[in-house]
Amino acid sequence: MNSAPVDVSAPRIELAAVRDIVPVAASVVPFALVIGSAMREIGVSGGVGVLGGGAMYSGSAHLAAVALLGAGAELVMILAAVAVINARLLVYGAALEPRFRTQPRWFRWLGPHFLVDQTYALATARDDLDEPDRFRRYWVVAGLVLGAFWIVAMAAGMGLGAAIPASSPLNFTATAVIIALLAPRLRARPQVLVAAVAAAVATTSSSLPNGLGLGVGLAAGIVAGALIEARQR
Amino acid sequence: MSAVVLLASSVVTWLLRVGFIVIVPARRLPEGLRRVLDHAAVAALAALLATALTRESGPAWLLTPSPVLVAAVAAGLVAWRTGRMGLTVVVAVTVLWAAQLIM
Repeated sequence: MNSAPVDVSAPRIELAAVRDIVPVAASVVPFALVIGSAMREIGVSGGVGVLGGGAMYSGSAHLAAVALLGAGAELVMILAAVAVINARLLVYGAALEPRFRTQPRWFRWLGPHFLVDQTYALATARDDLDEPDRFRRYWVVAGLVLGAFWIVAMAAGMGLGAAIPASSPLNFTATAVIIALLAPRLRARPQVLVAAVAAAVATTSSSLPNGLGLGVGLAAGIVAGALIEARQR
Repeated sequence: MSAVVLLASSVVTWLLRVGFIVIVPARRLPEGLRRVLDHAAVAALAALLATALTRESGPAWLLTPSPVLVAAVAAGLVAWRTGRMGLTVVVAVTVLWAAQLIM
């Protein structure tokens, strides 16, 4: 059995993780500020808000939960909305399962906590994470940096409260990150078709409540991908 | 109440995250279903983008000229050509800011 020589010139994977995640983490700052400010409006205490942000680690569902809580919704209603909005995390988990299969037990249970749209897209875009140890270090560093930006910005939002402007060009940064993650994947016709179907269906079903249109668009894109595959074979 | 809601929401979210990783590992899912999931990344990102653009400029976002659409197209071109995230974000925000001044 050969042991692979250590490539001392290879950049450390932790650095790569930081380089990948910092623009993403910066882009979610406006969103975290808005959620923090919304939590303050409905009287969530600072500690609960900040701990909740880290525990939930999920922006859209967090904002929906806060909005529904503010509107006096029942707990069951709120949890149903959270489950609908975050159902796509199941799909991401399934796609990343091979990466987690070979990991230690603690990481298989706790590592997925950092699973969000952006970490999923970053991890699947890299082709140098086959080694379990490398993936684990990449994932933990990216997750912690994103979480740090997220929690600090949310705390700032709670501190600033209504001083946060509802709309500014900076709010567009999260959308720009999605574009940056999506565009390089659109190199072949099947991917373009999948993206077009998902976008068209998500747009036409955007009037559905609780972000359901997003899930419907995702499902439609996946079905389109399956049909394209079936035709090709 | 808010602590209970956030805790319970966190548990629900975590269960969805570990669902196909440890509770029912995806390798036990049928082969066909797993292959279908290969398209999930592109489908999810496209659906997220469409949802964000719809929120900004309504369901006719693709047909209505708007600063957001101009910025999105500019960002898309930069990302497609360079694959660089930081540059894409800076271009997107700068173009949006400029387009809002002009349009």
